[in-house]
Amino acid sequence: MMVPVGTVLGLSAILFGIGVFGFLARRNIILMLVSIEVMLNAVNLSLVGFSRHLEDPRGQILALFVIAVAAAEAAIGLGLVIALNRNRPGMGVADLKELKW
Amino acid sequence: MTVLSASFYYMAAASVVSALLAVTRRDPVHSMLWVLVLFLHVAGIFLLLGAEFLAAVQVIVYAGAILIFYLFVVMLLDLPDERARPRFGNHWPFAVGAGLSFVALAWVGRSAVPASLGAGTIPAIEGTARGAAPMGSLSEIGMALFGPFTLPFEIASLVLLAAIIGAVVLVRKRATGS
Repeated sequence: MMVPVGTVLGLSAILFGIGVFGFLARRNIILMLVSIEVMLNAVNLSLVGFSRHLEDPRGQILALFVIAVAAAEAAIGLGLVIALNRNRPGMGVADLKELKW
Repeated sequence: MTVLSASFYYMAAASVVSALLAVTRRDPVHSMLWVLVLFLHVAGIFLLLGAEFLAAVQVIVYAGAILIFYLFVVMLLDLPDERARPRFGNHWPFAVGAGLSFVALAWVGRSAVPASLGAGTIPAIEGTARGAAPMGSLSEIGMALFGPFTLPFEIASLVLLAAIIGAVVLVRKRATGS
């Protein structure tokens, strides 16, 4: 396969931009968290592309750690969503005007 | 154009399209399913780039565990008025600008990498024909994880433990009367 390494990095940049747009534009907490997952996946893609290009497995190990941190982030983020939903039903971030309840 | 590079471009296009659909669908369940499509295509790209173990982890952990967890939470919380709400806040053009400027920034940075790094093409996957274990294989990743990366590996397990405890503490119902 003769794909230029720049193509992989460009794809990663496009996916990261889509994730940034989703995080900033959506008004739903769960979909904002999913946009963060899209961004983390884009970073993994560029790490694997560099790892392939430099013939160095360290990039893949970094991507593995990114996946572990993403799992931790999903657990904590969705725990926060459930705790918020118990106090105040609804998923819109505009409804969350107070931090104390 | 060989079959491999054609399949790479197909997966790249499909992942961009599914990511765009994922952040723009109104129904959260549809968004989750498009993100699932995105993750599977990214796993395919990992496979093409020679990261077999990472592709398996992507399918098992990302698509299999994390995304199903998201789907559970979406279906657990009843969201009756979610479809009636506006999808985006009023400031969504600024979000488009931020995303596009990030793409442009990364694009500029991509063309600014040194020629020794950015100009080459990704070498073909040799397969297992040569004697040494191919890069990205399970044995090489495992040797690196238990060799020079032992400390980060253990710290990752601590992060996961802290996340488990934190999730249990957050979601636990408080004792009545407190």
